[in-house]
Amino acid sequence: MRKGISVAILTAGILAGVGQLPAMAAGGEVVSMRRLTEQEYRNSIGDIFGKDIVVQGVFEPGKRIGGLIEASAAILSVTPVGFDSYSKMADSIAVQATSEKARDRLIFCKPGSASQPDDACAAQTFNHYGRMLFRRPLTSDELQSRVKLAANMTKASGSFYTGLRYGLASLLQSSNFLFRVEVAVPRDNGYTLDAYSRAARLSYLFWNTTPDAELLKAAQTNALDTSAGIATQVDRLMASPRLDTGMRAFFSDMLQLDNFDNVSKDSLLYPKWSVQLAAAAREETLRTAITLALHENGDMRELMTTPKTYINRNLAAIYGVPFDFDADWVPLTFTPQQGRSGIVTQISMLSMFSHPGRSSPTERGVALMDIFLCEPTPTPPANVDFSAVNNTDDPLKTVRERLMAHATNPACASCHTHSDPIGLSLEGFDTIGRPRSTENGKLIDVSATIQGKSFVGAQGLGRFLHDNPKYPACVARKLYSYAKGVDSEDVKAREFKAATKAFGDSGYRMRSLLKDMTQSDEFFHAEPPLAAAKTTKLASQ
Amino acid sequence: MKLDRRFLLRGTCQGALAVMGLPFLDCFLDNKGQALAATGKRIPTRFNTFFYGLGLTKSLWVPKGAGRNYETTEQLKPLEAFKQKMNVFSGSRVMIDDNPNFQHWSGVGASATGMSPSKNGQFDSKTIDQTIADVISRGARFKSIAAACAGDPKQSYSSLGGPNNLPAEASPLSLYTRLFGSGFQDPSRTDWKPNPEIMLQQSVLSVVAEDRKRVTQRLGASDQARLDQYFTSVRESEQQIAAELKRPDIEAKVEIPTAPEEMTVNSALPNMRKVLPLMARLGALALATDQTRVFNLSISEPGSQMFVPGDPLGYHQSTHEEPLDPVLAYQPRVARYNVYSMELFAAFLKELDAIPEGDGTLLDHSLVYGFTDVAFAKIHALDGIPVLIAGSASGRMKTGHHIVGEGSPVSRVGLTVQKAMGLSVDSWGGGSMETKSPYTELLA
Amino acid sequence: MILQKHLLAFSSATAILACLSQPAVSAPWVRGFVVGTYEPAFRYGGRTGYARAGEIEPGSDCIHGNTIHFSNSEQIRRALSFQPWRSPEEIKIVSTLPGLEQAKTPDQARFMIWDRAMSYRGWRHGIETYINPFAAQDPGQPEVVSRIGDGFNLDGKIGAHDFVSPDGEKGIDNALYRAWGCDAPWRGNGNATLDMRSNDKMQEGLYTMVIRISGNQDPMNDKDATLEIGYSPDKIVKDARGIVTTDFSYRIAKTAQYTKMKARVANGVVETEQVAELHAPRIAWFYDHAGDAEFHQGRIRLAIDADGNAKGVIGGYRSWRDIYAQNTFAQDGGQQGVREHEDGVALYYALRRNADGMRDSKTGQNMGISTAYRITAAAAYVVDASKPAEITALAPEEKRREAYLRIVNNMKKATTTRIVQDVTPGTSEGAYPNMERDITGLPIADYLLKTLDRPHFDDPPGPQASK
Repeated sequence: MRKGISVAILTAGILAGVGQLPAMAAGGEVVSMRRLTEQEYRNSIGDIFGKDIVVQGVFEPGKRIGGLIEASAAILSVTPVGFDSYSKMADSIAVQATSEKARDRLIFCKPGSASQPDDACAAQTFNHYGRMLFRRPLTSDELQSRVKLAANMTKASGSFYTGLRYGLASLLQSSNFLFRVEVAVPRDNGYTLDAYSRAARLSYLFWNTTPDAELLKAAQTNALDTSAGIATQVDRLMASPRLDTGMRAFFSDMLQLDNFDNVSKDSLLYPKWSVQLAAAAREETLRTAITLALHENGDMRELMTTPKTYINRNLAAIYGVPFDFDADWVPLTFTPQQGRSGIVTQISMLSMFSHPGRSSPTERGVALMDIFLCEPTPTPPANVDFSAVNNTDDPLKTVRERLMAHATNPACASCHTHSDPIGLSLEGFDTIGRPRSTENGKLIDVSATIQGKSFVGAQGLGRFLHDNPKYPACVARKLYSYAKGVDSEDVKAREFKAATKAFGDSGYRMRSLLKDMTQSDEFFHAEPPLAAAKTTKLASQ
Repeated sequence: MKLDRRFLLRGTCQGALAVMGLPFLDCFLDNKGQALAATGKRIPTRFNTFFYGLGLTKSLWVPKGAGRNYETTEQLKPLEAFKQKMNVFSGSRVMIDDNPNFQHWSGVGASATGMSPSKNGQFDSKTIDQTIADVISRGARFKSIAAACAGDPKQSYSSLGGPNNLPAEASPLSLYTRLFGSGFQDPSRTDWKPNPEIMLQQSVLSVVAEDRKRVTQRLGASDQARLDQYFTSVRESEQQIAAELKRPDIEAKVEIPTAPEEMTVNSALPNMRKVLPLMARLGALALATDQTRVFNLSISEPGSQMFVPGDPLGYHQSTHEEPLDPVLAYQPRVARYNVYSMELFAAFLKELDAIPEGDGTLLDHSLVYGFTDVAFAKIHALDGIPVLIAGSASGRMKTGHHIVGEGSPVSRVGLTVQKAMGLSVDSWGGGSMETKSPYTELLA
Repeated sequence: MILQKHLLAFSSATAILACLSQPAVSAPWVRGFVVGTYEPAFRYGGRTGYARAGEIEPGSDCIHGNTIHFSNSEQIRRALSFQPWRSPEEIKIVSTLPGLEQAKTPDQARFMIWDRAMSYRGWRHGIETYINPFAAQDPGQPEVVSRIGDGFNLDGKIGAHDFVSPDGEKGIDNALYRAWGCDAPWRGNGNATLDMRSNDKMQEGLYTMVIRISGNQDPMNDKDATLEIGYSPDKIVKDARGIVTTDFSYRIAKTAQYTKMKARVANGVVETEQVAELHAPRIAWFYDHAGDAEFHQGRIRLAIDADGNAKGVIGGYRSWRDIYAQNTFAQDGGQQGVREHEDGVALYYALRRNADGMRDSKTGQNMGISTAYRITAAAAYVVDASKPAEITALAPEEKRREAYLRIVNNMKKATTTRIVQDVTPGTSEGAYPNMERDITGLPIADYLLKTLDRPHFDDPPGPQASK
C-alpha cells in the first residue's frame, strides 16, 4: 500500500505532460491486462458494429492455467504473427463499417463534404466507437491523434470515409481494445477496480461481451461504486437471455470442451467417430449444463447424476436410441439400466480424455479430479516405463489389471490411487462413450475406492461426486477465478468463502452463486502489482 | 495478481506463450519465409494451382502407408523427383448437402471453394487462388494470371464467385505478350512505384504505436513486459510494411526469353506436351520477376477432352466407355491417361523447381495446389477425390507426406493451404464442408 | 472389494445362462434398415479371371459375354446398314469419320456424331428412334441362357422359361434378367457400371430408401409381422471407412413411394405377402428419373444377420415401358447407347418380347415384365415423423424432371399407338445442339450437317452436356 503511493507520486510526475485518463482517479494502477479471447472479440465486435460485420482471422490460442484458459489471458501477450492478424482484422472491420452499405447505420453524422476532412464528424465518430472499444472514454490525446490521422488519410485518398476507416482501424488494433485493461484505485484499506473496469468485468462474465450502453452509463455516473448500483446491474444482466452466452463460455472453459479441437479416434476401430459427432457432443454437454444451471435453476450437484440430456441425430446413433426429428435437438432421459450418470458419462467427457484407440482410466480420472474437485494431478516422473501398462497381449487382460500394477509401486501409487479409481469406474464406456461390458473377452470390473469411499460404476461415481463437498467448492473456485482471470490454484478459499456458503444455502443454485459472488466485496478487490517500483525504469524506454 | 513460479511459464517458441526476459524477441519472430533474395530482402511466397480433369485411379495412385515414408505408387511415379517436396491427400470427401450432384462440377467447386456449388459451372464463392491473391499479391503487377494448355480461355478455375471466371491465356504467345509485352516493368528500372494503400497502413500503425506513451506508466513489471511485446509486434508490422514500400529486390537469375512462335494449342497430347512446358516456364518467370504471385495453370476442362491422335476414344469417353478389366479391376487405358496428366504436372513442377532463388528454388517458395473434378470418373464418384500439393510455402508447410482423409471434407486441404500461405483465416468452406480443422501435422 | 468383484462375475454368468436356456419372451419388436445398395438381381455367370479386351466375358449366363454396341466403326456401320434410306456413302462416312483428328475435340465429336446417328434409325428419315423404337428394326439382344436366377415366383406357376433359384425353388419370374442380363452396363461381378453409378449416387444423397419391420412375437420368428418400405427425406450417413453407418435414425415418409405389407419371419428371414401394388423408391442415378418403382404383385424377402444388417430381394412386375424409359431418357438414348455400349432399340424389343405380366385386357398385351432387385441394408432406426416429412425438391433439377416426363409420355404414346411422336424440348435427346457444336473443324462437318439433320422443333438452347 505504501509502495503503491510512492509509485503513484513518481508516476504522477511522468504522467504530467502526457495526458491523463479522465476515468482514473489519482493513484490508479493497472492491475491486470486480459487479452480478449476469440469469442469475446467476436461478441464485442458484433455488439458494437452489428452482426453483419464479418470477422475472419486467426486468434492466438490460450493456455490452460489452473484448469481455465481465461486465466492465461492475463498472462499472454500478442506475438507478431498474432498482431498481424489483429491488424488485418481491424482494417477489415473498419472497411466494412465505413462501407456505403453500413454508413447510414453506423456513422451518425454526415461530413460537410465527402471528399474533405471534417474534424467534428470524425471526432464524434471516434468518441462514440472509442468509448465502446476501449470500454472507457478516450483521452483527449487518443482522440486527437485519431482525428488527425483521419484528416491526413482523407487528404491522401480524397475520401472522408477512407479517413474514417483508418482512424477506426487504429482503434481496433490498439492494445486498449485487444486487452481488457483493469485499473484499480485505492479504497479503504486496499485497492478496488474502478468503475469502468467493474463494468467490463461484469459484462464479460455475464454476457461474454463488451459493456452495453447502460453498463457504461452506470460506470460513468458512478452508480457502480455502491452495492445497490452493482446489484441493479447484476440483476439486469442475469435476467437477460444473454446470460446463456456468458455461462456457455464459462462452462466451455471449466469443462475443457476446447479439447475437442484435438480429439481424433482410430477410424478402423471407431468408424462412427466424426467431426460432426465431436461438435454434437460438445453442444450436448453445454446444453445440459446451461439448462440445469440457468433455465431450471436447479441443484448443480445434479450435473453429476442427472439422467437427462440433449441429443441430435448424430448423438442418437452413438447412444443407440432413435431420434424423433421433432427439432434439431431433443431432450432424452436415460433409463437407470443404461448406467449413465450426468455429465461424467456424456460422450464429451468420455471421449476427450481418452486415446484414439482405447479408453484411458488414468486420463479420465485425472481430468475429472481436476475439473470437478479442483485437485490436479502432478505430471508423471520422467523415467516411467509404460510398456507393461500398454501391452494388451499380456496375461493381464483389462486396463484395470494393468493399472493395478501401479498400486504396488510406491513411486506410482501416490498419484495413481489418487485419480485412477474415477477412470476405472467409467470403464464401462469405451473411448467414444459407448457402453461395453467386456474387454478382451473379460468382464470389466467397475468398482472403485477413492479417498476412503467405495462405489461401483458410473452411477456410483456420480453419487460420490454429488455428495462430495469439494465439488461445489470447486465450482465456486472456478467461477471466481474465471471472472477475475486468475489461477484457480492460487486463489485463497477465503476470498470466495461467503459465496460458496451462499451457494450451498441456496441448494447449490448457480444463479445464487453468481449473484452472491459478484456482489461480494472480494469480487472487485485487487492487489496492486508487486514490482510497481520497476515501472519507472521501463516506462522511460 | 501475484507473481510467483506459476507466472514464469515454461514457454515454447512454437506456441503463443509468453516468456519473460530476453531473448524473447527472437523466439517470437516469424521464422517462416526468412529466405533472402540475393540482395538480402525477403522473397515472397507464391501460390499456384494446377487443374487436371478426370482424377486418378484409386488402386494405382493411393499409397499404402500414411505419413512420411510412403511408397511411390505407379501413378505418382512421374512426380517421384518432387516427392519430398509434395504432400498427397487421399480419402477426402465432398458433401453436396442439398445441392444437386453436378457431374464433373461438384468436385471442382468443392476443391476450389470448399463448398458444393449450387449451380452448374459456377462457383458459390471466391476461389482459393483469389482468396490468397487478395492477401499476397499486394505490390505485384498482376493480382493473378491464368493459363490454359488446351487452348480454351474458358478453362480457368479462378473466379470471384458467380458465373464469371477470370479468363485464361490460351496460347504461349498470348501468355508471353501479357506478361512480357508492353507494360512489363523491369524491376531494376528506376521508375518503379509502390502501392499507395501500403503507405496509408503505415500511418495507422504509427498512431497505434503512439498509444504506448500513455499506457506504460502504471503497470506491473509483468504487464509491462507483455505490453512491450505487443508493441514489438506493432513495430514488426511497421517494418514489414516498410519493406513493401521498397521496390522488389528480386534478382532472380533468370533471362526473359524471346516471344514463342504461334503453334496449335488443343487437347491433343503431343501438343499439350509442347505447350505446357512453355506456359509453365513463362509462368515461373513471371513469378520469379514478381509480375504476379499467383499463377493458375489448367490442362483441361472438367471431364477432360485430352486425346492421343489416332485414337478416337479420348480420355473422357474412355472413362465412361472402357470397362473395368475383370482381372486388373481398373480401366487400363484410363490409367494411362491418368499418368499423362501426372507427367504434365511434373513438367510444371520442373519449371518451378528450375529457378534458383535465395537458399532454394521458386518451387520451395511456392505452394502448388493440384486439384481435379472427380475421384472415379466412370461413375462420377466424388468419394476420395485426390488433391496433390507441391512446394513448402517457404518452409511453412512440411512436405513428403501422404495424408489419409478418412472421410474428412476436402475443404480441410484448402484450409491447410491457406494457413501455410500465411492467411489469417480460421475456417473455410460452407455447408457440411465448412471446416476449422487444418491438417496441423503439415503446418510448420 | 474382492467380494464385489466375484458377485459381479457371478450375476453376469447367470444372466448369460438364462439367455441360452429359455426361449425369448414374446414382446413387441421393431427393426429398421436403411438401404445401402440397390441393384437388379442379375447373376453373373462369367468365368472369373477371364478377360478379352476387357469387354466380353462369356459365361453360363451369356455365351457371348456382354453385348456390345456402338463401340467401334464396324458396329456403327452395322447399325446404320439397317436403314434402307441411308446411302452407302453416308454409312461409310458416318461410321469411319474421316478427318476426325482435325476436330477441336475429336473424342467429343465422334461421340456426338454417333449419338445423333444412332438416334435416327427409323424405317424412314426423321423418326427419332429412342422415342419411337418400334419404328426401327430389331437388331437383336442376346438373352440370358442359364436356368439359375434370383427373384420370386410371382405368378404361382412354374413356367417353361422361369428360372430356378439357387436354393432350388422353381418357377422364379425374373424376365428382366432374361431380357437384359447380358446388357453391358448391368452385367458384372460386382462392378457393373450402372450398378456402381446408381449406388454411388444414392449413397451421396440422391434418395434414401428405408424399411421397417415390426411384430409382437419375436424378431427371429413371427407369424404376424408387418413390413413398411418407403422413401426417407434424411440423407444416408457414411462412416469414416465410407460404409453406410448403422444406428442412425431416418424418418419414413408416407409419400407415393410408401407401402405397408404383412410379413412372416422364420429363423430371421422375412417374407412379405404379395401385394397388388408395392410402392417403393426405384433405382436412379439422376434426379430426373428418380421415383416410384411401382411393383405389381410385389414381394420382399429379407435375411437379417446377427449384426442386425439385412440382405434381400424386392420384386414384382413393373411396367416395361417405364423400365425402358428410365434406362434411356435419364440423359438421352444416343448418349446412353454410345457410352454404355447398349442399344436401346434392342433392349426395347427384348423387354417387349419377355413381358410376362400386367396384362391389358383390351389389347391382350403384357404391359409389365417380372423383375427382382437385390438390396443390402444397414441397421437403422426408422421413425415416424411427428411433423409431415416432405421430400426435398431441388428447384434447379425440377425443370429437367419435367422435361424427362414429357419425353417419357411421348415415348409411351408412340409405343402404344404406333404413331410416330416428336422429340419434346428440354433434354439433349437426339444430340441437339451438341453435335452441331462439336463438329466444327471437321472436313465432313457440312456433310454431317446435311445428312444427319433432323426435324426441327421449338426447342430451347443449352441442353445437358454429354457425360
